[in-house]
Amino acid sequence: MAGAREVKRRIKSVENTRQITRTMELVATSKLKRATDRVHAARPYAQGLQEIVSGLYSPALAEQYPILRRPDTVKRAAVLLLTANRGLAGGFNANLIRQARQQLEALRAKGVETELHIAGKKGIAYFKFRGEPMLTQRTDIGDRPTVEDAESLIGPIRARFESGEIDALFLVSSQFRSAMSTPPHTRELLPIQTEKGASSADVYILSPSGDMILERILPAWVRNAVYTALVENAAAEQGSRRTAMKNATDNAGEVLEHLTRTYNRARQAQITQEIAEIVGGSAALE
Amino acid sequence: MALRVRVVSPDRVVFDGEASAVVAPAWDGQVGILPKHAPMLALVGVGKLDVDRPGGGSDTFHVAGGVLKVERDQVTVLTEYAGTEPPKVVPREAIVFPEDAEG
Repeated sequence: MAGAREVKRRIKSVENTRQITRTMELVATSKLKRATDRVHAARPYAQGLQEIVSGLYSPALAEQYPILRRPDTVKRAAVLLLTANRGLAGGFNANLIRQARQQLEALRAKGVETELHIAGKKGIAYFKFRGEPMLTQRTDIGDRPTVEDAESLIGPIRARFESGEIDALFLVSSQFRSAMSTPPHTRELLPIQTEKGASSADVYILSPSGDMILERILPAWVRNAVYTALVENAAAEQGSRRTAMKNATDNAGEVLEHLTRTYNRARQAQITQEIAEIVGGSAALE
Repeated sequence: MALRVRVVSPDRVVFDGEASAVVAPAWDGQVGILPKHAPMLALVGVGKLDVDRPGGGSDTFHVAGGVLKVERDQVTVLTEYAGTEPPKVVPREAIVFPEDAEG
């Protein structure tokens, strides 16, 4: 059995760890609150835009605008992966990376060329280790992503789609269903997927024409999809981190309980042994 | 009968309330909206959006880019930028005529 002193040292160390994980849990909780507010604040715009785009879209338009083009065969596809810049968030980054890898493998199995765009240190580090080339490597998007961040991220990729260099774009990010449920998710962003809504073209006064409105609105719609994904990803990261740190704190508590028991037993054994020695010693003197 | 007006930018709802009239900067000039306006979709340019409150008084916002929807006395302005100050950068989707660019 370990000596009482070593056990005591381990207790100290676990206590320190628990202190740190508890602090990180509290920090994540407060960041999660603000990130969740941003997720909710971004929804009205996304919904409104979606309604308008669905209302105006018609297949006939697809031939006119490069952003609406629908390639018959996908020769080259881009995967845009959003991960966190920081770790210690449980399986958050690992789940996203796995999702992206599955997407890449599925595309390659179909004979599609792939290219990879990544925002977030953790994703970049992983794919650098694997030796995958990355066309975009962004580590400057923080806890509070802005519309400008989204535009600077998606702008070049959208241009590649419009010029025909890529035929599809898949966005891999975390959905934010709740703080506890943040599953990784792949969304086919380009070519633009629209479920046909009630057509607005006949009912509305359109100024200018429907297709000109679409031409202006679609880039914003694509960018907003990325913005929403960035905001949700940031919230999901904090949610995962809070859960991971809460588990770590709870586990540290359990370890401490066990170690305290071991320590008490070791201390008791030491006392018993000392008494036995004293008794033995005095018995030998008589 | 009043209008229900919502001014929404990508990261928040800037205004949500009643109005008796709205004057909005459409892509080709100011457009006035009163109750019972026909359904309309219009691109938003860059400029001032005036919302007249039913009790008198009005709110003014600077908006830039996006789209405006009127339907059954509901006015929704989805704009790239909305705030009390003019935008520092004009979003690239917004239509700006060269002759207006200076002002």
